[in-house]
Amino acid sequence: MYMGIDIGSSSSKAVILDKTRRILASAVVNTGTGTQGPEKVVETALALAGLFPEDILYRVATGYGRMLYGKADRQITEISCHARGAAYLVPEAGTIIDIGGQDAKIIRVDRDGRVENFVMNDKCAAGTGRFIEVMARILDCPIDQLAELSTRATEEIAISSTCTVFAESEVISQLASGAKRENVAKGAHHSIAMRVAGLGGRIGIRPIVVMTGGVALNLEIVRALESEIGYRIVVAENPQATGALGAALYAAECNL
Amino acid sequence: MSRLHKIISELEEISTHPGRAVRKQMEKTGKKAVGCFPYYTPEEIIYAAGMLPVGMWGGQSEIKQADTYLQSFCCSIMRENLEQGMSGVYDMLSAVIIPTYCDTLKCVCENWKVAVPQIKTIPMVYPQNRATSAGVAYMTDEYRRVIKELEAMTGAEITETELLKSIALYEGYRRTIRKFVAISGHYPKTLNARVRHAVIKAGFFCDKKNYSTMIGELLSELKKVPSEKSEGIRVVLTGILAEPDALLDLFDENGVTIVADDLAQESRQFRTSVDMGENALEMLAYRYAIQECSLLYDEAKRRGTLLKDLVKDNRADGVVIVMMKFCDPEEFDYPIYKKELEEEGIPMLYLEIEQKMDSVEQLRTRIQAFTEMVMHKSLFYNGKENDDVHGY
Repeated sequence: MYMGIDIGSSSSKAVILDKTRRILASAVVNTGTGTQGPEKVVETALALAGLFPEDILYRVATGYGRMLYGKADRQITEISCHARGAAYLVPEAGTIIDIGGQDAKIIRVDRDGRVENFVMNDKCAAGTGRFIEVMARILDCPIDQLAELSTRATEEIAISSTCTVFAESEVISQLASGAKRENVAKGAHHSIAMRVAGLGGRIGIRPIVVMTGGVALNLEIVRALESEIGYRIVVAENPQATGALGAALYAAECNL
Repeated sequence: MSRLHKIISELEEISTHPGRAVRKQMEKTGKKAVGCFPYYTPEEIIYAAGMLPVGMWGGQSEIKQADTYLQSFCCSIMRENLEQGMSGVYDMLSAVIIPTYCDTLKCVCENWKVAVPQIKTIPMVYPQNRATSAGVAYMTDEYRRVIKELEAMTGAEITETELLKSIALYEGYRRTIRKFVAISGHYPKTLNARVRHAVIKAGFFCDKKNYSTMIGELLSELKKVPSEKSEGIRVVLTGILAEPDALLDLFDENGVTIVADDLAQESRQFRTSVDMGENALEMLAYRYAIQECSLLYDEAKRRGTLLKDLVKDNRADGVVIVMMKFCDPEEFDYPIYKKELEEEGIPMLYLEIEQKMDSVEQLRTRIQAFTEMVMHKSLFYNGKENDDVHGY
């Protein structure tokens, strides 16, 4: 059995594959690097698969916390792992958009699923999961209901600040001057889509576009992004775990 | 410790403690020192005046006072230089020459006079059109003005003979350090990214005569040891400079060998030779006229070609762009050569850097992902067998 562990900034994911590369278990824990999250997610995945740690022949760690996690046989970046995982799920994939808790990546892959080029957002949190978290908090809306709130919008309130901190003040003043929460929510979704589409412009987007990472769970962002980039987006099955899946696939290959 | 490692550690010591190194040289030679702001100042003239030219390439200290003059969106080298000037780090210098290559430098030239009044400022203005007769005439006039200022400081005339001797010495230094750069890719372990950088950088804080001797000895020691096999990918660096050391360590960690560079702090300093001129100052002006750098106006936009040649000649796998944050001249060049390299199918990695960086984690992911991308074939298809070959 092979395990991929993706330790992100705000969540940890693990996938276990059997020898035929069938997914035996997939787990997500909502705490990331520097916490007990990585340990917990490994335990959960093992329990789901009904396995013991010694049943795992090879482990690959990926994600922001890959170097800190001491129990992996090898560390591979999340760029390669998301590409690998997405290409496994959608073999015709041309571009992968991965938006995680702290960064956004656009990865172009060739016909064989190999990374051709990639681009990551710069240091700031604009266009990432963190932006949505901040918006959800000031709009007083649970993060998993933010998309739903946005669908009730009657118009879009544009958010012009790119920076998350500035955007926060901007939204507070919008709300203070009477703007409706749902309209602001719509603007927030659009703002992320614009940021990520701009990033895509740097390397060029080629269909089929696959979206991975936790932010893909928000279908309003997927929709806004589709209209910004002009292509349909296929959301990877269990998008949060795509990186861990890719890592597990590498683990299977490394152990040949 | 072998002689080879002893020379390397001496050069590393100079490069990491420039102030100490400069003071030591001043004591030893009895010479006064003159600071040279980036990027190109006529070091030969300072040397001919019997003084020690000292490179001023920023540092990693915390900015406290320089904010008064340069905002946080200015280039980190200039902010560091000003900060260090204001905090007295450069007080051993008798003067600084400040050229006006970019918008920030133009301001620094004025700022320095007020912010660091204890150190004399010698400004230098360079011609845009360097390779015309008017450009050369203007340049030689500018050199004459600098000569007068330096002569006033020492009270002695800078003769043509001294200038020619100094030019010959600098030509010798350039030939020697070019040999080092050419050979460094053959020793990816002994001369890893951090060492390679330190050896080259040390030159800014040494009397070039001693420095050339040291590099010469380093080269002959290297000849005695077998070359080393590189385990990962081979890259060409382009940009202003590749710092801090934490960044260079990431190259080493991921098995990235620097086989050539187009950095303002490294090869751009010494890749051009003097090749014509009726007298010493003309020789300097003509050399300057054919130098290539983002800071120097280039109608032909040759940087893409230059990078393609460096990749080809050194069998590099790709180009790493170390983009100095807020450096307009470097950013202006980028879209032009990016397109040309893309057309050639040369992989590129774009890294935005500052001299002082609190975290290099994002850079770590980018560099590791780039090596994975370039070596993906082995990682993807052949698994273990090729892993070992490439040392993943």
